[in-house]
Parts: sequence; structure tokens; C-alpha cells
Amino acid sequence: MSAQPMHIHPYERNWMVFSAVMLVLFATAVSVAAFGMGIQVPAPEQRVDPRIVATDPNSPWSNPGLREVSPGKYDAYILAHAIPVWEYLPKEITVPAGSSVSFYVTSSDVQHGFKIQDTNANFMVIPGQVSKLTIKFNKPGTYNYICTEYCGSGHGIMYGAIIVTP
Amino acid sequence: MNKYLLNGLYALFAILIILAFAFKLFQPIKVLPRMQLAPAFNLTDQNDARLTSEELRGKFVLYNFTYVNCPAPCYNLNKTMQEVQSRLSEAQLGDIQVEFITISFDPDRDSPTVLRTYADSIGSDTKQWRFATNTNKALLKTIIGSGFETYYEDKGEGKFAFDPSFVLVDGWGIVRAEYRYHAEVSDADRIIRHLSVLAEEVRNSTGTAKLAYEAAHLFLCYAP
Repeated sequence: MSAQPMHIHPYERNWMVFSAVMLVLFATAVSVAAFGMGIQVPAPEQRVDPRIVATDPNSPWSNPGLREVSPGKYDAYILAHAIPVWEYLPKEITVPAGSSVSFYVTSSDVQHGFKIQDTNANFMVIPGQVSKLTIKFNKPGTYNYICTEYCGSGHGIMYGAIIVTP
Repeated sequence: MNKYLLNGLYALFAILIILAFAFKLFQPIKVLPRMQLAPAFNLTDQNDARLTSEELRGKFVLYNFTYVNCPAPCYNLNKTMQEVQSRLSEAQLGDIQVEFITISFDPDRDSPTVLRTYADSIGSDTKQWRFATNTNKALLKTIIGSGFETYYEDKGEGKFAFDPSFVLVDGWGIVRAEYRYHAEVSDADRIIRHLSVLAEEVRNSTGTAKLAYEAAHLFLCYAP
């Protein structure tokens, strides 16, 4: 028995080809972004206990803020919380231009977001997890960081700023 | 005939993809990530002897960073080191040696004599656990700050601010794990588990099994 060639309408075939091309295109774009351009995904870095993360003296978030690890390289431990008020600790950090800053962000109560304007940093802040992302600030200016996940009535006032000095 | 060949190729491709997914999903082999190269260094230990990164090749090394005048309990750093030291047999290391190195970032006060007294006072086995520093402060900052990515800062009057951390380096001089504040599982528990994972990789990763271990690295099958 010889197999009959299946009849496919030209429109349908065009769409099938189009979807296949899109698939290959996106897979290539993702691969190039990941391996070629070194785009980092803000992965959960480690697990912490949200009940004590802000108070335990062993915890770096009991003393949130900026630390200069080596010249031009900083760690920023940032705590997001809704209790007693909606805010980030610290509210403001200042670094010279050209610095690379690793943000370690966690929450001591509910879920928050963390987006730094004019950069590609934007991630969730989940209680019990630490999100880490490294950003290099080359251009002087003020970069606000804002909460991007609705976290209660004070969500709108939850922001801070990174001041990059020349 | 050509059709069978083509179908066979499709099937082979599908099996390969399924195998890759299964490997990622079930993670039959778990490894520790190769994070970065550990810094090379040249320090002076508590016996006034030279301690370089080269002589530690082939051994697993657990580093921490502190200073002698750190007010007790000083982040429980010594307690964790001692606990790991006393529980080493749990890690089933075979003939692989483990060294513990505490680097002081206060060379002004922590001379070899002070370090030796300190080592004795906490009852450490100084053959396996060495205390070292370097009087060149810029170099020390490069080793601890840039190399081990650990923050410390001189706050004056013999006081330092720092973030407690442990760094595990393998026999090739590659950083395989960093421990910076975990409240859920104690650092000692995690270090012991990681040492045994690392020892298993060193023992088994030969011949064909080496490919499986490399695949585990490629698919990010990391031990928690």
C-alpha cells in the first residue's frame, strides 16, 4: 500500500512554517542572550528564616546597607518590609560611577518587588529567600528602586534611591 | 528505506531530548557548582611559617575570616569550624585531606604569637586548622575582598565590621561553596554534606562517569 501525500492547505502550511521559524528564532534569541551576552536571571541565592532575618545579630540584614568588598565592588544588603511601615532599608545608597553593586534583597514579612529604574534589574522579593543580582553603574545620576508587587496599602510609597556620583 | 531512516533519526532525537529532561528532572548525580577561582595568596601562619595557596593544592580547604579581638561569640564562627572538624568522619572523605584556615584581617594586632595564643585558647588542632594573616594590608584586602568576596572594614580602635562567611575550596583551587548566613540548616550541616558530595565527585569522576559528572555541571544539578 503506497502512502498518499497528505493534503495541506497552503494557508495552513504557511502558518506552520511561520510558527516553526518563530520557535527557532526565539530559541536562538534566548540562547544568545544567556550565553553570548551573559544575561543573569535573578535566581534565589539562598534561604533564610524571615521571622529572624531582620533581628538575628548573625544576619547581614540586621544591619542593612552598603559594604565595599574591594575597591569599586560593593555588596548591598537590602531589607524590604511592610511592618511597621512600607519601606526599604536602607532608603538611599551612594556609590561612585563605575561601581559594580551586588544586591542581596529579602523580605521580613510579605512579598515585595524590586525594580531599579533605568537598569535591567527587576525581581521578586520573597520572604524566606534572598534574590541576588549584580549591576554595574557607569552613568552618574539617581536611580530609584521601587516596589513592583502589590504588598498592601503602603505599596505606592515604597521606594528608595541609588545615587551614583561622578 | 529512506523513510525508516528518517523515522529512526526522529526517534533518536526524541530519546535524546527525553533523556536530557529526565537527567535534569531526577538529577541522578549532584555536584557543587564551580563558582570561581580561589585567589592565590601568601600568608604567615601562627608558627611564623609561610602559608601559600599552592601548598593547599589537592586538599579541600575551608576558609573563614575574622580577627582575634572580635567580641565573643563572634558570629559562632569558631563553633562552626570546631563542629565541622569533629564531625569530619561523617563526610566519608577517604584519603582526601581537609584543612581549615582562618585568615585574620587585623595584622596590626594579630601577630603570629597572638594567633598562636588564640589557637591554643580555643583548643584547635593546629595541624589541621591554621591561623594566618599578612602585614601588607592592601594585599590582604585583595585576597579577602576581591578574592573571597568577603566584606570587612576597619572601624578604628581595633574594631572591625565584617560579614561572617565560610568558603569551601576544592583541590584544584576552585571555590565550590560559600556560606553567608543561612538560618534554616546550620552551616556545619551544610559544610559536612558538601564535603561528602565533593569527595564523591573526586573519587567517582573518572572514565565514562566523568562525562556524567560534567553533564551534571552542565545541567546545574547542584546539591542543596
